[in-house]
Formats: sequence, structure tokens, C-alpha cells
Amino acid sequence: MSNNKSLGLAHLNRRAMLSGTAAALAAPYIVASARAEAPPVNVGVILPLSGPNAQFGINSRNGIELIADEINTAGGIAELGGAKINLVMADATSTPTTAGTVAQRLITQQDMTAVLGAFASSLTIAISEVTERRDIPLLTMSFADQITGRGFKNIFQVVAKASVIGKAQFEYTAAIAQAAGAKIEKIAIMYEDTAYGTAQANGLRAGAKAANVEVVMDDAYPLGITDTTPLINKLRGSGAQAVFPVSYLNDSLLIIRTMRQQKLTIPAIGGAAGYVIPDFEKGLGEFAENVLSIDTSNYDLAPELTERFRKRFGYFMVHEALEHAVCLEVLVQAIKKAKSAKAEAVTAALRGAKFTGGWINGMTGGAVAFDQTGLNVLSVPLMVQWRGKDIVTVWPKDIAKSAPVWRS
Amino acid sequence: MKRCLPLAAVIVLTALLPLLLDPRGYWIRVLTITLLFAAMAQAWNIVGGLANQTSLGHAAFFGIGAYTSTVLLLKFGISPWLGMVAGGVLGGLAAFVIAIPTMRLQGHYFALATLAFGEVMRVIANVWTSLTGGPSGLSVPFVPPSFAAYSFKLLRPHAWIALVALVIVTAIFEAIRRGAMGYRLRAIKQNAAAAEVIGVDTTRVKLQAAVISGALIAMLGTLYAQVAVFFDPDTVFSIAGISIRIALIAIIGGVGTAAGPILGAFFIIPLEEIMNDLLSSRAAGLSQLVFGIILISVILWQPRGFITVFGSLRARLSRTVSP
Amino acid sequence: MSFLQAILDGLLIGGVYAVISIGLTLVYGVMGIVNFAQAEFLTIGMFVAWFAWAFLGLDPVLAAPLSFAVAFAIGWVVQGQLIARVLSAPSVAQIFLTVGVLIVIENGSLLLFGSQFRSVTTSYQTMSLSLGALFVSVPYLIAFSMSLACGIALWWFMRASWFGRAMRATAQNPSAARLMGIDTELMYKIAFALGVGLTAFGGAVILPYVTVFPGVGGQFVVLMFTVVVLGGLGSVAGAVVGGLAVGVIQALSSLFFPIQLQNLVLFIVFILVLAVRPQGLIGASR
Repeated sequence: MSNNKSLGLAHLNRRAMLSGTAAALAAPYIVASARAEAPPVNVGVILPLSGPNAQFGINSRNGIELIADEINTAGGIAELGGAKINLVMADATSTPTTAGTVAQRLITQQDMTAVLGAFASSLTIAISEVTERRDIPLLTMSFADQITGRGFKNIFQVVAKASVIGKAQFEYTAAIAQAAGAKIEKIAIMYEDTAYGTAQANGLRAGAKAANVEVVMDDAYPLGITDTTPLINKLRGSGAQAVFPVSYLNDSLLIIRTMRQQKLTIPAIGGAAGYVIPDFEKGLGEFAENVLSIDTSNYDLAPELTERFRKRFGYFMVHEALEHAVCLEVLVQAIKKAKSAKAEAVTAALRGAKFTGGWINGMTGGAVAFDQTGLNVLSVPLMVQWRGKDIVTVWPKDIAKSAPVWRS
Repeated sequence: MKRCLPLAAVIVLTALLPLLLDPRGYWIRVLTITLLFAAMAQAWNIVGGLANQTSLGHAAFFGIGAYTSTVLLLKFGISPWLGMVAGGVLGGLAAFVIAIPTMRLQGHYFALATLAFGEVMRVIANVWTSLTGGPSGLSVPFVPPSFAAYSFKLLRPHAWIALVALVIVTAIFEAIRRGAMGYRLRAIKQNAAAAEVIGVDTTRVKLQAAVISGALIAMLGTLYAQVAVFFDPDTVFSIAGISIRIALIAIIGGVGTAAGPILGAFFIIPLEEIMNDLLSSRAAGLSQLVFGIILISVILWQPRGFITVFGSLRARLSRTVSP
Repeated sequence: MSFLQAILDGLLIGGVYAVISIGLTLVYGVMGIVNFAQAEFLTIGMFVAWFAWAFLGLDPVLAAPLSFAVAFAIGWVVQGQLIARVLSAPSVAQIFLTVGVLIVIENGSLLLFGSQFRSVTTSYQTMSLSLGALFVSVPYLIAFSMSLACGIALWWFMRASWFGRAMRATAQNPSAARLMGIDTELMYKIAFALGVGLTAFGGAVILPYVTVFPGVGGQFVVLMFTVVVLGGLGSVAGAVVGGLAVGVIQALSSLFFPIQLQNLVLFIVFILVLAVRPQGLIGASR
């Protein structure tokens, strides 16, 4: 062994370090036992944080974090002894199988009360296969019809179904046009060939059929299309009086701009997604004005709450952020009702139940009521319209904040 | 016989692994997926390694298998085992169809033509909604657990099935490699023109390799469908998620060798999972970034695959043993 | 009439596909490497142009040389530090190294710039010219003109300048080139940097009508490879022909088939062309 003296200081430092580390490791336990703090409530949050849906995933995460922080700062969940909400975040990536594996991992690694996620329907469906088999409640704002159509007992969807949204996209438009004295007889539908686009297009078609309106153009286009000129050429030649595009941001900008280039001024009624995010207005400027879009919720239904989001994150509370916030609010209320953080108890408290108050005021009807399939039957789509840098609810009349402007 | 012993030991140990892991847990799912991808990479290895044709379109056959068995199950209630055989036939057929126009293509041209074919299948699956459910994807229906119905309550049987699949595909690979077909493929690899001269029917041999590879990976598509329970065209016909991934796995491990795909899978898949686990919640994209950096480093370090590490280790060991 | 309009639109957009893809074929032609990360430099070019627009008020088309320069510099480093090390490795290793670079750049962009979609607004975005009954989209026309200018500049560079001739010599026969006193290592660096710079230039040029986000390059990967292989890997003229062909095929297919199938039609044509001409439409020396 080497010289004791030269090791002396190092020896001391090492011992100090070891005991210091031990103290640091033990501290929480010592402090905890002294305070008998309630164990945190683990809520899994699985969202696409990378890949093409990353922006929507991050928006959703922001919404969830806003509420979780508010609840935790206010002292946590009183019914559980002030238990704090512990958000366990994970990236769903863009592959459903990975989302499923991630869900499996989260559930296995800690005692999970519930899972929130995952914006994209395909990811949500994959996660639900895992959560259903493990009896963990999954709360989501994805709206593919299949989500609530499989007889699952542990899934809770806070917004209306895709087919309903699509149908409303048409019906509200017809009503708005009629109120402005215009009659729509020929429409064009164009949509991205993703699950979201296809499902909503189905609803649009059903709505048009029920109203005996002719669909003169009905075209799907590949996701990630870089040139929409053929679409607009076809639109121009179709004689449609209104066009219903269902698309994400890039194509929504392309479609509106190309319509302008070809001097096509028929009204465009968007299908949410790309049409209701701030980047839409940023990209189009004055050309975004008065563009209509269907939406599943809107921040102007509860401005006193949603302004907090704008203050913290710098942009208006997009619907996915609001709806995820509502998911968390509903979950917390269910936990309070069940007086337990155990997954089965919470699920029982959620099933077939109605919730009001708090962030739920941001949903149509001011309440969330789940039926036996897990669908929120009170959620009604709404029509929004761009006014400046904001989107304003314009239909149905009973929740509209402003009268719709119809340009024909 | 003596060489078989360590191999048998590895297989037995891997078979015991699922018993140690939480049967409803996470690591057993990772193990199952790893074994499955190892088998898929091994099936690819037949064409990519032995025939030396880097195909980037194997997802086409994989997706065909997944959809065939699932559609048959949904529409006619046919057991996935039978559906798997049907999928294998269709996959082999599809491989035959694409092999013909791409027969004469060299290296990169072949890779991109096969990639195009994979995309063709993806678009077809996306558009043919009445058959495939379109972009909304398909869910494998829940049936009461039984072996005949390929339905299990726990993940363990899936892991064992994947292991058996890997063993079978590897055995087929080895049989080809050591047999007459392997000899002919090597001849073609060395010098196609010379091979023709000595009487090797290059077209026939390449077609055989393609069909076998396509059929095998299509059957693995059924395994995947039963494990994942839900999939859509973007998942099973994915360029990055399937085609490139299995080629990458084989190459990282050592293309053209039996152990290559296995080494590659056991490196890449757990690595991705660990990265996702550790880093995905910290910052978006961080886990993939680190994965990409590791990938680059590994390729720079061992461009010929991990198997070369073992090769040089064995050489060094044998050097120390012999006097 | 719609037939003519489709051809016109196809040519305009094809010209842009060409300029984006030329870099890819150049890299292959000189170095024999298929650079899977090429489309990521499109993303880089677009981000550079976007930031130039957001902070300097530069129109993206004017910022294109800046995009070129930044991508050139990054490409120089990537080639020197990474690609050069695998030049003697099996080609599959080279391909997958570039796949690794793809992953790094895409996720690096995500980390650095965030996931949000960014687009530019320019005065000419919604303008079009009328050519009789035909519409000519102004952003496409400008993009096409810039691509044409770029293509001519590249052609001049390869033909008339010493560097261009040296690169072609290296592509033809590296050992002979070395014997002639050409520093092939330097040529590889220039070829790679030039190649990715060109793609970045193309990215800036399309920014007026494409929104940029970290994954935007991924949307063009398959298209770029189709263009290059269709025309013949390694042939610059092939990339031009391939680009125009792809644009026109896509535009024409939407007249006869559902728009959803435009890529399907493209790929089937692609496979059939290769079946008949395995070296691509123009083919090349390598």
C-alpha cells in the first residue's frame, strides 16, 4: 500500500463523500417518515414528442402540466392527504407498437393510477390494448370511432367521435350558409389519407348525403403531399360551392394559398388539426381571416381558465391542450370521488359518471358524462372562425361568442 | 456435435428467460420483440447476406403476412396459424412478382426498386379500405385464450413462439448457406457471369432465395400481428420501422452470418428501449439522437458488424491456446 | 387544357425536384456512396432560410446561397470526420452510417429548434400569372427559375472549372486521378459538401410553399431517391431528367387516377422503367 499520508486527504474525502451520499440518499426517507407525506399519484402521460406529431404532443403536454402544477401548488389532492400528482412522461414516438411498449413499461415500472394520451388515434388504440388488459384507465381526446367501439371498459374519451365531427362539419356549414341566405348544393371534400382524415371524411359524406347535397369532388391525398396544385385544379373544375379540407398544417397552408393563386374564393371549412393552430394564421396572415373550421373544443368557452395557458406558454390554448387538461381534471375528480388512487377504484368512479367544474367548463355543455362505452356524450363539435390571431366559436348559436361571417 | 453444445445451451437459456421475467411485464415484451426482429433480420439475411442483394422493401412481405392472417381471422374466423401459412404463400408470391423486374438490377438500384415496391404495398393497403380497414388499421379480435386460436393471456407463450421462429429461420438460413444453394449464391456473388458459365442458373437461384425469404418474413408478420394486437399500414409497411431496421440489425451484427442478425437484434432493440426509457421524457428527440450517435460510433468501430469482434476474439484465443 | 396545365405544373415542380436531388447523384457519382442523410440537408437549408427570413427579413430565395454555405460547411465536416472513415468499408456499412447521420440531424433539429411548424409569408405566395387559360403559380415559377440557374451554374462548374474536371476525373478513376496529382480526399470533401449544399439550396427555394419542421426532409427522401435512380445514379443530367419526369408523372397521374394514388403510379412506372433499363433513363459511368 502507498504512503498513508498522501492517501490521507483522499481517504478523508472518500469517506466524507460516502457518508454524504448516504445521508443524501436517506434524507428523503427520514424527512418523509417525519412528515408522513402522502405518496404521489402516478399519472402516465404518453404523447408523441418526436416525429411528425411532435408539435401536437408537446401542446398536449403543456396543457397537462399547467393543470398538474396548479393542483400541486394548491396543496395536491386533499382527499388523499395532500397527495401530489406525479406526471410520468414518455415519448410515444410515431409507431403504435412502440407506444404500446412504452405503456407497458410505464405500467410495470410504477403503480400507475391512470394513463393520458396519445393524441393520434393509432397510438391511443395501441396503448389502450395494453391498458385494457391491465385494467388501468386511459383518458384520451383522440376521436377515431374505433376507440370507443371495441367494448373496452377502461377507456374514456372526452370528445365526440370522428364521424360525428365530420357530420357536424357539414351540417353546421349548411346552417351557417342558410342563415346568411346562401344555399349549398355542391360541395368538395378533400382529406389526408390518414385515420383522422378518412374518418372525418366519412362523417362529411354522411352529412351531405342526409341533406341531399351533391359531393362533386371527393378526393383523398397522400400524407406529406408537397404539391396540391392537382387538387385545386380539380376543385376549380368541379363547380363546388364550398370545400371541406381535412388536413394538417402543411397541406392546409398549401391548399389555401393555391386556391388564392387560382383565384378560387369559395369558402373553405377546415377539419380541425392544421386549421386551428396559431401557425395557420402565422403562415397565411390576412388570408386566414374568416376561414371556418370545425373543432372539438375551443378556448373561448372558458377564457378565465385558458388565458392562464396563454400567459405561461405564449400562444392560445389549442384544443388538444385544453382537452388533455380536461382529461386530467376529470381524472382528479374521479380520484377524489373514489377517495383512492387505485386504478380499479378510479375506473369505477369514471364509468358512466358525470363531472362538472374546474377545467371541464371548457367543454361544451360545461360537463363531461361518460356512457358505458367510455364516450363523453355531452361533447358537441363546434364551428370556429379566424378573427385576427384568434379563433372564435361561431356555431351552434347557444355557445357562439360571435355571429359567423359567411363569404360566398 | 461439440460445436452444437454451446449453441444448444444458449437456446435453452433463452427459453428459460421468459420464466424469470414478469409475465405481464415490460421486459418480456422487449424480449419477444427482440426475438421477432432477430428472426425477421435472419429472413432478410437470406437475400441480403447470402444473395448479397440489399433489399429495402421487405416490409412489403411482412405487411402482407400480417394483413393476411388478420383479415382471414376477422372475416372468416380462421385461426392465425392457418392464416400464417396463407400469408407465407402470398408473401412468397409477392417476392416472386417483385423479383422478376428487379432481377437485373445492381446494388443500389435493387435497393431502391425494392423500397418502391414496399411503398406500393403500403399505398395499396391504405387505399383498399374494404379489405384492410385502410389507414385506421386493424385490431386483432380478442378470442378466448387457446393455442389453436393463437391467443394467450400472458406474453410468455409469445416469447417462446418467437424463439422457436428464430431457431427455425436460422436453421433454414444455415441449411441454405451450407448447401448447394448457398454455394451457387456465393458463386453469383463472386462473379455472376462466371457463375453462368459454369452452369449456375442465376435467375432460378435468386428467385428461390427471394421467395423463401419473402415467405418466411410474411409468416413472421402473423407473429407480429398477434403480439402487437393492433397495426396499420404505416406500421407494418414502414420503410424506417421495418425495412431499414431489419437490414440495419443484420448489418450491425454481421450480414451473411447466422449469428449476425441475432447479435444485431439483441443490441439494437434493447438499446432503443433503454434510450427511450432514460431520455425520452427529458427532451423531445434526445433518445433518438443518442441512438443515432451510438449507431454511427458502432459502424465506425466495426463496419463489418459485431461478428468480426467475435471472429478476432476467437482468432486471438486460438492463438494463445496453440503453442 | 387540363392536360397542358398538368404538364406545366409537372415541369415546374419537376425542376425543383431536380435541384434537390442533383446533390444526391453528385455524391454517388464521385464517391459511390448513397447518402441517406441527403434529405436532412434539405431540412437544414430550410431552417437556415427560415431564420434568415425571421431575423434578417431576407426572402428565402435570396437566402438560398446562405443555406448552401451552411450546408456546405456542415457537409465538409461530416465527410471528413465520418464518411471518409468508411470509404473502404462494405457499401452497406456506408449506407447505414448515413442513416445514423439522418437520425442525428433530424433529432438534433428537433432538440435545437423544437417541433413547431414554421412557414414564411412572402408577397408572391398567392400570386399567379396567366398564360392564356393556364395558371402559372409564381412561387413555383421562381423556384423553377432558381433551380435552372443553379443547374446551369453546376454544369458550368463541372465542365469549365478545374475543380469540376478534377471531380469528374476522380469519379472516373480515383487511382488515375491521384497519379495525375489530384488530391482525391479533397475532391471527396468538395463533392459531398457541394452535393448537400445544393440540396439545401433547393430547400430554401421551396420554403415559400413548404412548411419546415424537423421531419420535413423525411417527406422528400423517397421522392429524391426515385428521381435520382430513375435518371441514373451518378448522372447529373439524369437527375434533371428524373426530376422533370417525376413531376410530370405525378401531375399527369392525378388526371387519370385518384390523387391518393399518385405515388403508387410513380413507383410502378419507376419499377417498370428499371426493369427495362436497369441503369436508369440516362445511366452513368459508375
